[in-house]
Amino acid sequence: MDSTLDRTLAALADPTRRRVVELLRKRSCRPSEIADRMALTRPALSRHLRVLRRAGIVSERIEEDDARARLYTLREQPFSELGDWLREVEAFWGDQLNAFKQHAERSPPRKRRR
Amino acid sequence: MSTAQDQARASVLVRVDRERAFRLFTEEIDRWWRRGLKYRVAGKRRGIIALEPRVGGRLFESFDVDGETRVTVSGQVTAWEPPARLMFEWRAVNFAPSESTEVEVRFEPDGESTLVTVTHRGWSKIRPDHPARHGLAPAAFLRMMGMWWADLLSSARVHAAGGSR
Repeated sequence: MDSTLDRTLAALADPTRRRVVELLRKRSCRPSEIADRMALTRPALSRHLRVLRRAGIVSERIEEDDARARLYTLREQPFSELGDWLREVEAFWGDQLNAFKQHAERSPPRKRRR
Repeated sequence: MSTAQDQARASVLVRVDRERAFRLFTEEIDRWWRRGLKYRVAGKRRGIIALEPRVGGRLFESFDVDGETRVTVSGQVTAWEPPARLMFEWRAVNFAPSESTEVEVRFEPDGESTLVTVTHRGWSKIRPDHPARHGLAPAAFLRMMGMWWADLLSSARVHAAGGSR
């Protein structure tokens, strides 16, 4: 399970791949469409998609009406793991900000200078 | 998915104006930053946490161990824009020199109050084969992230948004 997380993080460390993911969050896309939208060469895109596929972030399927066409879709599972982790970090900061709020609201306002 | 892929975010609405919120957040960080192993390297020892108020300033802790003063720096200030914004690096004690995450704190006026939002990003840049991560599930890895993050995160069940958006 943690190795999945490792692969997820490694895959997302690359800004181009994060943009691919952003694109796929909206809907599934063909590689040609992704390459066009992101101004990437097909070989470059293929490499990125391979990394994302191996990390389990995206899946590839064949379009029903066209056996040659591939469609890339975002998988949810690896994100839920990373999401769990980030939620822990959010809990940490939520905790800290609560403490900050308590401090700030109980501190008497500083006296105005005459 | 409520969380962006690479960042954690939390916010709170504080009933003080923005100038004051920024000042209290930075100048009085030691007075509100929680104590204990969950939040400080010093753990239960007496010590201070401080933020030097300028770009390049350090976020550090200073505490005594067996009569010697130990200073641990968790990062440097990368943006100092009172009263609107503050940004600093955040490195756990077991990060490699090249590894760092980034914390941005924004202060936005909301009527007479201030919405304080922390965005902690860069998690995907931590080397996946980091020793601390090897063989550990995410929750366990978190506990290994350094003493700061020890135990803490999983136990602290908090609102990630006391804010109004």
